Amino acid sequence: MSELKIVGLLCNWCCYGGADTAGTARMQYPPNVRIIRVMCSGRINPSMIFKAFEEGADGVFVGGCHIGDCHYDAGNYKWSRRSKIVEDILEEFGIEKDRFRHEWISASEGEKFQTTMDEFYKTLQKLGPLELE
Amino acid sequence: MLEIKHTLCPSCSVGCGINVVSHEGDVVGTYPYKRHPVNEGKNCLNGRNSVEIYENKLESAIVSNSDVDIDKAIDEICSNLKSKDNITLFCSGNNSVEDIEAIKNFAEKNNYNIALYADNIVGIDGEVASYDDVEKASKLIVIGDVLYTNPLIGRRIIHAKDNGADVYSFTPEGSVTANVSDEICDSIDDVLNSFGDNLDESSVIVFNTVNSSEDLDKIKEISDKRNSKILPVFSKCNSKGACDIVNAQSKEEFVELLNATDVLLVFNDDLIPEIDFDFASISTIVSFVPCENSTSNASQIVVPIKSWLENEGSFVNAMGETQTFDAVIESDALGVDEVIEKIQDKL
Amino acid sequence: MSYFLARSKNPDIQEAGECGGAVTSIFKYLLDENIVDGVLALSPGDDIYDGVPTFITDSEDLIKTAGSYHCAPTMFGDIIQKYLSDKKVAVSVKPCDIRSIDELIKRHKINPDNIFTVGLNCGGTVSPVTGRKMIELFYDINPDDVVSEEIDKGQFIVELADGTEKGVKIHELEHEGYGRRSNCQRCDVKIPRKANIACGNWGASDGWTFIEVNDEKGEELIKGAQNAGILETKSPSQDAIDARLKVEGIMIKMAKKNQDSNYEKVSGIKEWDRCIRCCACRDVCPICWCYENCELNKSYFDASEVPPSPIAFQGIRLSHMSFSCCDCGQCDDVCPMDIPVSLIFDKLQKKYQDRTGYVAGVSDDVKPPLYSPAKEEL
Repeated sequence: MSELKIVGLLCNWCCYGGADTAGTARMQYPPNVRIIRVMCSGRINPSMIFKAFEEGADGVFVGGCHIGDCHYDAGNYKWSRRSKIVEDILEEFGIEKDRFRHEWISASEGEKFQTTMDEFYKTLQKLGPLELE
Repeated sequence: MLEIKHTLCPSCSVGCGINVVSHEGDVVGTYPYKRHPVNEGKNCLNGRNSVEIYENKLESAIVSNSDVDIDKAIDEICSNLKSKDNITLFCSGNNSVEDIEAIKNFAEKNNYNIALYADNIVGIDGEVASYDDVEKASKLIVIGDVLYTNPLIGRRIIHAKDNGADVYSFTPEGSVTANVSDEICDSIDDVLNSFGDNLDESSVIVFNTVNSSEDLDKIKEISDKRNSKILPVFSKCNSKGACDIVNAQSKEEFVELLNATDVLLVFNDDLIPEIDFDFASISTIVSFVPCENSTSNASQIVVPIKSWLENEGSFVNAMGETQTFDAVIESDALGVDEVIEKIQDKL
Repeated sequence: MSYFLARSKNPDIQEAGECGGAVTSIFKYLLDENIVDGVLALSPGDDIYDGVPTFITDSEDLIKTAGSYHCAPTMFGDIIQKYLSDKKVAVSVKPCDIRSIDELIKRHKINPDNIFTVGLNCGGTVSPVTGRKMIELFYDINPDDVVSEEIDKGQFIVELADGTEKGVKIHELEHEGYGRRSNCQRCDVKIPRKANIACGNWGASDGWTFIEVNDEKGEELIKGAQNAGILETKSPSQDAIDARLKVEGIMIKMAKKNQDSNYEKVSGIKEWDRCIRCCACRDVCPICWCYENCELNKSYFDASEVPPSPIAFQGIRLSHMSFSCCDCGQCDDVCPMDIPVSLIFDKLQKKYQDRTGYVAGVSDDVKPPLYSPAKEEL
């Protein structure tokens, strides 16, 4: 089986910091995730998620600031509403809901980042590689 | 004022209806013509984009790269016609039936050559399949990516398929036509040899490309033998109508004629990208076009004429049905017949 | 909210109109009093199966727009948005027309102060070519002999020049793949209550139009036309009001049943593999207005792939506007490859509706929840 590919879109102010914290503390998490830093989860367009899946990602993860902590006030609210639509659409195209996950992780929560990635990887392992029609 | 008018799509020979939207005397867009029996309001991208021609309209006549009065250009044409011998008039499926008749009369009256090139498809006389025949066919051989190039015939192929027809094609793997085909072949020969014998009297061979006259002969031979019908789909809206009036030439015949031509009059067409020939060897090329193209850019004399939007007349679609259309917008430009009349008067 | 029965006081209009010519009279009032620059309505093209959107600026020409079309699945939202946004316009609207106009108002593409909307109750439309075939097949009548058609009491009825009528149950026609367009079959908005007024024959006595006034602007329309001496009104009986609501209720119930039977199939749409990326669905969509700036044209998407990957083509479109889809079915109508595009867009809007309560072009929200700046999660 080829290695699973995970695309992680992480907000610059919180989740990216969380991933950094996990890294500097040498916490082990699956190396399958390719991290792309974005300025805010609120700037993530559904088409980015679709493009990731279309180009071979087996799972897409989005990490943002906790509700109330957004650097731009309400970006994560916007993302959270948008994520629902993304879920609905992915389902229609035969992409399992579980291949797409989003989580609020602060810069200090290195451990949460680690466990989230572990869990997500295990979920994807169960689902196997994505085969788009 | 906003107006929506019916006309025919000029982008290929399927003969779709299209509504053109004009606003304050300018063409601004298209609108589906759902009442039209050929396409029911469905138009492909080429069709919907065909109104863009309006934005690039040629404003004045051109002689040797400078704008001139139209009468000056006509004089120039006449002196060329009078002083030189081998003159060829080139018409194509972009011209309406009425225009082609005018061109033919002009050629006969003055003893000029007349040439017609229609996708290298020659000698198709007699009845061709109707779109309904395609829809109701039991078996179809499709040559070329018809779904992509001529979607409104492609749609009939899909209907046939939904009705249980077998579809055998020569089309690139992964193309939309391939996706609806039961079998895909590597060459025209291959598809005709492998599946020709499966055809019956309710089968149709639909094709929009042929490489040589041998291909064409083979298609005709098989359809004769199996008693099935053929449907050649041309790239220009009135090629079928033009072929009924003037004999179409194969690429080789046409190049031979060009070799012997001193003055070439091109009526509303863009020959240069289509024909592999050294056009610089012709001493004078005259283009009658609504807007610039690569042939008009290589022409010594260019005369602006009406575009399909400003014209009226009739087209014969791929299945041989004559359809008339009206102008959707008024124009001062001359029609092909008017230009010819002007030239004839001065000869 | 108030109800009226109305008809024209102008005998010519009364004769030409469908139900006493109330709609045409209201348009005449608006034009004659110079309240609007023009009226956008349908007039016959090739025949009665061909409704052509026409912009009328002289009230003398209004008469040709009188009468109704059931075989003219047109869309006015994008016409106003593209070409008439700088004019004051009165327009007759089916429910899907007003829903798209409402969505365009929410997107600041149409100024609500510039338009007067006269709603027409709608039980659904039939595609013209299908309609003609259907009349040949099921009615044994030459479609050219038909002078008018209507949908009443579950039947599609055609009338000939000599006054004879023939009806066939819509249910039967649709079972055979004819009848109303598939999006109309599942449409559950039958009375355009977002328009200033909603007109129709449900509950009306012969020769009268039943009008539901939806807002203040609608009230002024009726009052103005009355004062101008062109519109005659009376109050409908309670029975008439009830009868109208009953018709609406039956229609909606029928639509819901069709929704259940249609939606199961959506994830199984196999037709995507013949998509030729002509973008006709996008270009005709009244909600899509970005044009050249469309996400699909962005350089980071491969625009040359044919057929496009469904997720990268329709997926993107869905994420942009499916929550605002008013199920007008234009995308189905114009698709050269007969892909049932609207089915999936409508399904996604219904999913969104279940999550948020937002009904495209019907809910009173200032914006669809997805565009809202509110600090709340769904």
